Amino acid sequence: MLIEIKNLKKDYLMGEIMVPALKGVDLKIGKNEYVAIMGPSGSGKSTLMNILGCLDTPTSGQYLFNKIDVSELNDNELSAMRNREIGFVFQSFNLLPRMSSLHNVELPLMYAGVHKLERKERSVKALERVGLADRMMHKPSELSGGQRQRVAVARALVTNPGILLADEPTGALDSKTGIEIMQLFDELHREGNTIILITHEKDIAEFAHRTIHLKDGMIFTDELNNKNSKSKKKQIP
Amino acid sequence: MEFEENIKVAIRGLIDHKFRSFLTMLGIIFGVASVIAMLSIGEGAKRQAIAKYQDLGVNNIIVRDKELSNEELEEVRAKFSLGLSINDANVIKEIVPGVVDVAPQAEKDSEIKFADKSSKSTIIGITPSFIEILNYEAEKGTFINEDHCTRNLKVCVLGAGVVKTLFQNQDPLGKMVKIDDQWLEVIGVMKTKALFTETVGELASRDLNNDVYVPLSTFNKRFEFENKLSSEIKQITVKVKGSEHLIETAGLIRGILNRHHYNNDDFSIVIPYELLKQEEKERRIYNILLGAIAAISLIVGGIGIMNIMLATVIERTREIGIRRAIGARKTDILSQFITEAVAISITGGLIGIFLGVSLSLGISLLTDVSTFIRVYSVIIAFGFSVIVGISFGYLPAKNAANLKPIESIRYE
Ligand SMILES: Nc1ncnc2c1ncn2[C@@H]1O[C@H](COP(=O)(O)OP(=O)(O)OP(=O)(O)O)[C@@H](O)[C@H]1O
Ligand SMILES: [Mg+2]
Repeated sequence: MLIEIKNLKKDYLMGEIMVPALKGVDLKIGKNEYVAIMGPSGSGKSTLMNILGCLDTPTSGQYLFNKIDVSELNDNELSAMRNREIGFVFQSFNLLPRMSSLHNVELPLMYAGVHKLERKERSVKALERVGLADRMMHKPSELSGGQRQRVAVARALVTNPGILLADEPTGALDSKTGIEIMQLFDELHREGNTIILITHEKDIAEFAHRTIHLKDGMIFTDELNNKNSKSKKKQIP
Repeated sequence: MEFEENIKVAIRGLIDHKFRSFLTMLGIIFGVASVIAMLSIGEGAKRQAIAKYQDLGVNNIIVRDKELSNEELEEVRAKFSLGLSINDANVIKEIVPGVVDVAPQAEKDSEIKFADKSSKSTIIGITPSFIEILNYEAEKGTFINEDHCTRNLKVCVLGAGVVKTLFQNQDPLGKMVKIDDQWLEVIGVMKTKALFTETVGELASRDLNNDVYVPLSTFNKRFEFENKLSSEIKQITVKVKGSEHLIETAGLIRGILNRHHYNNDDFSIVIPYELLKQEEKERRIYNILLGAIAAISLIVGGIGIMNIMLATVIERTREIGIRRAIGARKTDILSQFITEAVAISITGGLIGIFLGVSLSLGISLLTDVSTFIRVYSVIIAFGFSVIVGISFGYLPAKNAANLKPIESIRYE
């Protein structure tokens, strides 16, 4: 298993009151899976995703990534984890506004200590992969929403991470551009990448092979989609 | 990430945010410039004062014959005072303890002529002790010595200004000049003296370069005062050992002279060193004011930096969050921000030094305020602003780096 989560809980302290966002989640995700997470607003999707991406830490429970207990890592090790193993794609792109696409994509490699020449070569390749060979020197403000998200995907991919996490990657895009991004994810999956994405839209979720429904901080359903035949359902009590 | 890479990231950050970097720098530039300019004004005033009093000798007490009107003179003479005399000088030297030497001087305003040129000068009759007591130096030739005095020789030493007027490019040594009806041989030329432009105590200001020195004995024998009632000499400069007992010594001298002059109060005593101390005390308030202005401008500069930092903290916090999300360690973030702050502070500091130095040179060129830049003031200003810049740049970055990445990405 690439990811193993046991009884994961996350509480937010709002003033004096504890707001539980995740109330005990168990989850296993294997290599080269393509998982969509759905659920109503406030159900804890982003909270879960941020913990998976090592951007946030759980209140309790266990998170094993590649058999490594993430809760035992120190800050530097977590940084290295985010750098090498995780490619995160955000709804709002989160590119550095004053840098060219190329430079944005180079950043993770720079923090990985990759030498300049190799860095440039790999970044160019990643940008070519997402179809932006002719937009390398553009700044985010000079790109369309779909193009920005492609830059973000290239940045997530460039380190060859173990997993690609995307929190509503199409949320800020029109549906046509959204579908294009999803086709890109589809291709990336077929190339062997493991992908988890959050979405509100059913037709986006259908790109994935497995859909997890969250409700009130718990997994409500976890089912395999079968695009051609009927989907096999696996109910979680 | 390597160090070199870090510097590149920081410099890129500065270039990507030119306007913000410039605004941040402004505070440092003006802080440094104003501190340097302020301190240079204070230092300039101090040096001017010291130079002025050094001319009069910090270990000297100056006794000077009072300027009196004819009626007053007649009254004083009627009350038995003969005015300042060579005898007074000798008495002071003999009985006042701590006195190293005395220099009596007689004075007379007259015209000095050479060929077809003439100069209005003060003819001063002196003894050889004069040159040493008043720190004068001969530029060419010799000064008046014991032999000239005992033999009443008709020799003179000219101030630099007199030489200029009378001789232009000629060598004055050995030439004969005419003062009143007397011919004297020029045996020396004095070094140029700073213009004595300010009145010190009761000593009126005048151009010392227009003075002509002759042996006191010659002066007494060959020259006559216009006013028959004039005192024998105009001034006695008393050199005292050390400057600790100047006031007591001056009191003693006053007592003795009062007795000799039958309490006619026809002389005044000036202690240059005491005046210097007095002036320094007065200048302290002025210095405190200057320091306060400089400190305020540094604080304002610091607040400026902090303002920019706070104004950009949302953008920067997000930037930090994004960098952290893609793998930057805390130390990467911190070194980026410290390098940025150092680069801004140093660049701003250097521009500030340039501006401050120009400002203080400009002040002394365009106004009559004299300035002097001391290296320590440049170091203080530069050091302080670099510290301010780094602290204000570092603290927000440190806080942001300590947030969880997700918190800084979401920061609003
Ligand atoms: N930083 C926070 N502080 C306090 N409460 C939070 C914080 N982040 C999330 N929550 C709460 O945790 C719960 C789950 O939030 P989360 O963002 O995971 O929802 P979501 O499923 O991603 O919703 P959406 O579909 O709207 O993005 C919500 O009730 C939310 O109010
Ligand atoms: Mg969400």
